[in-house]
Amino acid sequence: MLKKVDRTLIILIIILSLIGLAMIYSTAGMTYMLRQGTWLAAAIFIAFIFSTITPRIWSNLAPYIYAITLILLFLLLFTHGTYPKRWFKIGEFSLQPSEFAKFATVLMLASFLATKKKLKTFTDMIIPLVIVTIPALLIFIEPDLGAAQIFFPILIIMLYWAGVPFPKIFIFFSPVVSAVASFSIYVWVVYIAAFTVFLYFRKQLSDFIYGFVSNSLAGLVMPVIWNSIKEYQQKRIISFFSPWLDPQGMSWQIIQSKIAIGSGKLLGKGFLSGTQKKLEFLPERHTDFIFSCLGEEFGLLGIVVTVMLYVFLLYRILVLAKETKNRFASIFVSGVLAWIGYQTFLNIGMTMGLLPITGVPLPFLSYGGSSLLACFMAISVCLKISKSKLEY
Amino acid sequence: MDENVIKFKALRNTLGIIFVLLVISAIRLQIIQGKKYYRLSEENRIRKRYISAPRGKIFDRNNLELANTRPGFYVSVIQAVVDSNSLKEISNILGLDTKTIKETMKMEKNPFIAVKIAHDISHRQLAIIEEKIDELNGIEVGVEPVRNYPYVDILCHLVGYVGEITYDEIKKDNSYSIGDYIGRMGLEEQYEKHLRGSDGIEYIEVDARGRMIGRISEKRPIPITNGKDLYTTIDLALTESVAVYLQNYKKASCVCLNPQNGEILVLYSKPGYDPNLFAHGLQQQEWQRLNNAPDAPMYNRAIMSCYPCGSTFKPFVALAALDANMVTNEKRFEPCRGEYRLGRRIFRCWKIHYSLDLTNAIVHSCDIYFYQLGRFIGIDTIVSRARDVGFGKKTGIDIPHEKAGLLPDRAWFEKRYGKNWTEGHIFNLSVGQGDLLVTPLQLATTFTVFANDGKIPVPHLIKHTAVSYHTTSISKEAINLVKEALLGVVSSGTGTLAGIRNCEVCGKTGTAQNPHGNDHSIFVGFAPAHDPQILVCVIVENAGHGGSIAAPIAGKIMKTYLANITSETPVYQKSGGDDALQKQVF
Repeated sequence: MLKKVDRTLIILIIILSLIGLAMIYSTAGMTYMLRQGTWLAAAIFIAFIFSTITPRIWSNLAPYIYAITLILLFLLLFTHGTYPKRWFKIGEFSLQPSEFAKFATVLMLASFLATKKKLKTFTDMIIPLVIVTIPALLIFIEPDLGAAQIFFPILIIMLYWAGVPFPKIFIFFSPVVSAVASFSIYVWVVYIAAFTVFLYFRKQLSDFIYGFVSNSLAGLVMPVIWNSIKEYQQKRIISFFSPWLDPQGMSWQIIQSKIAIGSGKLLGKGFLSGTQKKLEFLPERHTDFIFSCLGEEFGLLGIVVTVMLYVFLLYRILVLAKETKNRFASIFVSGVLAWIGYQTFLNIGMTMGLLPITGVPLPFLSYGGSSLLACFMAISVCLKISKSKLEY
Repeated sequence: MDENVIKFKALRNTLGIIFVLLVISAIRLQIIQGKKYYRLSEENRIRKRYISAPRGKIFDRNNLELANTRPGFYVSVIQAVVDSNSLKEISNILGLDTKTIKETMKMEKNPFIAVKIAHDISHRQLAIIEEKIDELNGIEVGVEPVRNYPYVDILCHLVGYVGEITYDEIKKDNSYSIGDYIGRMGLEEQYEKHLRGSDGIEYIEVDARGRMIGRISEKRPIPITNGKDLYTTIDLALTESVAVYLQNYKKASCVCLNPQNGEILVLYSKPGYDPNLFAHGLQQQEWQRLNNAPDAPMYNRAIMSCYPCGSTFKPFVALAALDANMVTNEKRFEPCRGEYRLGRRIFRCWKIHYSLDLTNAIVHSCDIYFYQLGRFIGIDTIVSRARDVGFGKKTGIDIPHEKAGLLPDRAWFEKRYGKNWTEGHIFNLSVGQGDLLVTPLQLATTFTVFANDGKIPVPHLIKHTAVSYHTTSISKEAINLVKEALLGVVSSGTGTLAGIRNCEVCGKTGTAQNPHGNDHSIFVGFAPAHDPQILVCVIVENAGHGGSIAAPIAGKIMKTYLANITSETPVYQKSGGDDALQKQVF
């Protein structure tokens, strides 16, 4: 069964998951480690099953899986219980549909994009945008901004891999940049000027018209909307989108995370002896900030080894995407690359203080069954693809 | 080139760049800044905790405690850990507003050091805090020594009080930290360094919520050094008696000292206040109320109030005249007929004395005799001798904020009234009225010139101090002559009510006219006349005649004291009992 599959991928995700188990034991103790271990066993079992299903079947199933996931996300909003509404509780375990939505959306996007041989116009990008916006919006309402925003980088990479030229993608999404820039009139003027010059040299009328009109509108309408809402609403929105502005809460986490990593120095304080995590200075130790504990206990050495494992894993996935001749399979693999890669770098960048806090788990390492399961499902599909990568 | 290969290379390079970026930032954090972050992680878990040293006790001359310490509970906040909910909660419990707490916290620059925000909280507050301690992040409760003054308002001015240190004071002296107490007024202020001791430091390991996990063995704690005790010359029992004798009067002060060595026995001022109030952080309004009260309870009248000394100045005018050899004891002036005309002004005497010699003029306190004597010997003669015995300058007592009083001389009069100052001013000066001002302590000290044969000791409050004396250049004969007259004041003159059976008492009454109401009643005296053990100065504000109010009180004080020092049986009972408890806690 494992013949001809990319064994490197299997080894890498198993090693990363084991590092995850060890760090969960160190940060949260035996109970959590055992629980995560159960999830890992389940994930491996499901991965075995998934790796027997051919890409063609996946492609055909994609709309149904996508629809079921959307229904789950929708139902989640009507559950009673804890706020934010992110989990279905099933006895001891809880399921996080947003993690599976990533898998389903990547599948759906790949399935849709594979049918289009030529992706040249803006209208071609509208349906993919809708495909990711629906789950993203449902997750945003939960609310879980961190999980919701992950869909858009995935979309961009998959569009790129499916053949849309990068400038085209940029122009398509540029109104968002314009709207953000419009908060400062100077920034916006500079941006719109530079953007116009860029469009001019593109020498494509459709690009110019779409780009200029959409950017101008976004830049002009945004301030009007912003100023028409009440001040407390503005504050609420600012604090929602930039929690790191709150000095008491978020910067404390960043500072403590940086202290944890920095104090590890070259070789770390040793397994189980991180003082930052032991004395509860680190927030979310076994989930979002598990990488900080790794840095504290294993030092630079541990960080470099772990990051290398991730980069190697992602590189293997990238090679797989390149070598796979099946268009659906190739685009799907690029989606998995975008998903795992973006989440990994966002999380590690956050713990080192390079990026704002977004509350994204680190694939394979962070405590959480749904995330682990979804990642294993994605990789297992990749494994099957690697087995039959030369088939059309 | 194949389109896929271009995209592959683009993504592979992105992957490579991100990898390099992450490794570089890890190196920056862990290698370049590793030491700094390691130190921060240690500071995170290791907290320096200051342990307040108990202040030294203050004892009276018979080893009774005038000030001691008792255990009290304080509340402190760690800025780095506290959150807004906990702040709100604790401010509710303590009845402080959050703004005040935040201001206190801001003073400490190191956010990991606990800042004391409330002292000596009630048992009720303590119980509430202990109950909610799990919800109160960054709030600590601890035990600290609290200053205690058992004799509340009878010794408050002398002993002073302790108050929370201000930010400006910390800037001046960095051995203090926020929430520390510093001595204010009296002995507490003067002997701050002696009494204070030095705070200890212990290093404890804490978790993220600031809760203690245990002590750190790698770092050696700095033990506390208790403040040193202070042994004073004060006689508590006598002070208590003085308070009783003066209980019917609103505003008064009394100084008792040993004229032979300057040891102060009583330094009493009325009204007083409760210095214990300051121990648990007095609120701004309360302090304002105390400080602005019309009868000025915070004011130590014995050393800070300047009174006209009235007739008690007459012995010094006589002393000056005799010392300058300008008159003899037999000198007589125009007889007293109750009033004396100077130009258009009429100067009165309180009684018609007819013709008197110098001794009898003192004994019967005749104003008209002294008007003429003053004019006869001249202002310079009076002022030079008066200054010699201590008028117009500080006595040098070892508590702060002493006033110097005022001895007007020729230059002062000229500056104040121009060239036109008249003999009328000399007349007033000669009977201790007008511009002459003295503090009760100063007046007491000047009288030691008679009690101690011209040797004036510097008054002091600490036992076993090497006493320094000021020896006047005034002739012994003059001193003895005036002393005889002072004996006569009590035996047959204005001060007979100060007399003690079987004991010779010297003294002089004074009735000080003042613009604030009735005359102040003054008496200064010492006993026994030929081996003086106690010198008393009593000033009762707005009470009337010196001979009728102050003199009997002074007599009772001298009698009480002399009875105590001659009795064989121990008169004082040592009050104690709290000691055992305190030793357990600290």
